Amino acid sequence: MSQDVVIRARGLTKEFLRDSFHIVALKDVDLEIRRGEYLALMGPSGSGKSTLLHLIAAMDRPTAGEIEVLGSNVASMADSEMAKWRNRHIGFVFQSFNLIPVLTALENVELPLKLTHLKRGERVQHAATALKLVGLGDRMDHYPRQLSGGQEQRVAIARAIVTDPDIILCDEPTGNLDARSANEVLELLRRLNQEFGKTIVMVTHDPHAAHFATHIRFIDKGELLPEGKKPEDWS
Amino acid sequence: MKYLPLIVKNALRNRRRTLLTTSSLAISLCLLGVMMALYYALFIGGQPAKAQARRVVVRHKVSIVFPLPLYFREKIAQVPGVEEVMLWSWFGGVYKDARDQRNFFARMAADADRLFRVYQDYVIPEEQKEAFIRDPAGCVVNKALAERHGFKVGDRILIRGDIYPFDLDLTVRGIYTSTDFDDDTLWFNWKYMENMLRNSPRLMAGGFTLLARSEQDVAAISRTIDEMFANSEAPTKTESEYTFGLSFLSFLGNIKVILMSICFAVTFTVLLITANTMAMSVRERVREVGVLRTLGFGKPAIVGLIVGESALISLLGGLLGVLVAEGLCWVVRQGPAIVQQAKTLTIEGPVFAALMGVSLAVGIFSSIVPAVSAARTSIIDALRFTD
Repeated sequence: MSQDVVIRARGLTKEFLRDSFHIVALKDVDLEIRRGEYLALMGPSGSGKSTLLHLIAAMDRPTAGEIEVLGSNVASMADSEMAKWRNRHIGFVFQSFNLIPVLTALENVELPLKLTHLKRGERVQHAATALKLVGLGDRMDHYPRQLSGGQEQRVAIARAIVTDPDIILCDEPTGNLDARSANEVLELLRRLNQEFGKTIVMVTHDPHAAHFATHIRFIDKGELLPEGKKPEDWS
Repeated sequence: MKYLPLIVKNALRNRRRTLLTTSSLAISLCLLGVMMALYYALFIGGQPAKAQARRVVVRHKVSIVFPLPLYFREKIAQVPGVEEVMLWSWFGGVYKDARDQRNFFARMAADADRLFRVYQDYVIPEEQKEAFIRDPAGCVVNKALAERHGFKVGDRILIRGDIYPFDLDLTVRGIYTSTDFDDDTLWFNWKYMENMLRNSPRLMAGGFTLLARSEQDVAAISRTIDEMFANSEAPTKTESEYTFGLSFLSFLGNIKVILMSICFAVTFTVLLITANTMAMSVRERVREVGVLRTLGFGKPAIVGLIVGESALISLLGGLLGVLVAEGLCWVVRQGPAIVQQAKTLTIEGPVFAALMGVSLAVGIFSSIVPAVSAARTSIIDALRFTD
C-alpha cells in the first residue's frame, strides 16, 4: 500500500439474507482513499453507502474481496482484535448521535478511553480537551437529554476523536439536525480535516453537506460509480 | 473497577424497576435467610449450652407420651457417672385463653429439691428456692415468662387440667434466670402431683433428666441406662438434652426436607424474577450494546457490564434481605421457646456468606443468557435494533 493510501478496497462485495431475500448490498467495489482526504459518499437510500462505511470500520465482514485499512487486512482479524483496532484507529459518528443517556457529556466522551491504559485523571483530561475542541467546554456535566440535537452530535464527534483516531467515519451526521446545527457540525468536521489532518469518510444524501468534502463519490445499487459520475435518476 | 461507575449508572437507569426488583429480591432472600438460619441453628452450627452439655434425658423408647415408672429414678441414680437425677412430667393444661399464643408455655412438674441441682445454670435467690421446695403447691417461673405475664412472687396461677383430671392452683415462690438461655418454663412441685394422684396408676414420670459428672460420661451413661431397661416394662431412649430438644421438631415432619424445599423454591423463584428483569433491561439496550462495540468494547466487556449490573442489583437485594431476616430472627427470639435454638436464632457468619453467595449466583445466572446473547448480536443488527 502506498504511504498515502489509508483505505483500499478491491472487489469488495457484501451479500446477505434478509428473511428469505438474498440482497447484494455492495458489488465488486474498488476504492482508494488517501491520508487527509475528506470523502463524501452519496447515493439513494439502500444503495450500499452505510454498508461500505461499516466494512471500512471493521464493524462487519465482506462476503468477497479485500479491504485494507491503514495497512491492516481488517476482514481477517479475530473479533477481539477487530474491537481493539476500531478503538485505536476509527472514530465513528452516527446519524442519531447514540450517546449513552445515563452518562454526562464528559463521561460519554471518556467511554472509548476506558479501553486504554490511561489513568482516570488522564482520561478526564483528554475527554475535557475533546469537548472544548467541539465548543462544549461549558456543557461537560450535562446529560444528553439536557443538550440540543446539534450539541449532542458535537459530543458524539468529541467521542469519535478523543482517542485521536486516524480515520473518522460519519454516517449521515447531519440527518437529524436543523440547518444551523448541521452547518456547525459540518464546519467542525472540515476543521478536523483541514487543521488536524484527519481522514474523513462521510455518508450523506444531502448535496449541501457533501460540498464540505474534498471529494464526492456516488454509489448506486451497490456499485461505486466512477469519480464525477452520478446515478441517472439523481436530481 | 473502571467500569463500576457505568455499571452503577446502568443499574439506576430505571429506578422504579430497580427498586421493585431489589425489593422482591430482598423479600425472597429474607425468607431464605430465616430458613437458612433455622437450618443452620438446628442441624449445623447449633451447640448445647455450657450447663446443658452435661444433662441427659431419659424417656420411653416408643414415644414421649408413654410414661415411665417412678422407681426408675433410683436405678438411674446408681449408674456410674450420674451426679444427680430428677423426674419430671409434662402437665399441659390451659392458662387463661388457649387461643392466645402468649399463654402457651411449658408447665412441668419436677422434684423440687433436685431441680436446681440438675439445672445448675438456674439462678434464684436462696430463700425463694427454699420456699419452693417447702411448698407442695409452689412453683418457680423463668424471669422472661414472669415479665411477659406480670407474675410476681406470691401471685397465684391457675392452670386448667386437660391431660390430667384436676386443675393446678399454684403460688409463685420464686423467679429464676439462667446463665444459658431463658426457657419459658413454669416448674411446680412434684408433691402436687403426688397429692392429687395418690394411689392412682397415672402417677408416673414423663421422663427423667440427669446430670452427668462430665460431658465425657454422657455417651456411656446413655448406653448403660438403655441397656438396663431394654427388657423392662418400659424400655427407654436416653439422649442428651440438646438432642432431645431437637426431637420435638420431628413432630412437625421432616424439618430438614421442609426447610430445604422452601429454600430451593425461594431461590428458583427469585432467579426467575431477576432473569425476567434482566432480559427486559438488556432488550431495551441492544442498540447501546452496538454503540459500545463500535467504540471498541469486546464481547467479554459487554457480558461483564451486563452481568455486573445484575450482580450488583442482586447483592443489594441480598444485603437488604439479610437485614430484614436478622430483624425477623429478633422477633423469633422474643417469642416462646418451642426449641432452645429459637432463643438464639441469628444470621451467623456462614449463613450470611451463603446468602450473599446465593444473591451473587442469582445475579450471574439470571443475566448470563441475555448478556451473551446481546454480546453475540452483530454490531449492524444491534444498531438497527428497535424495540
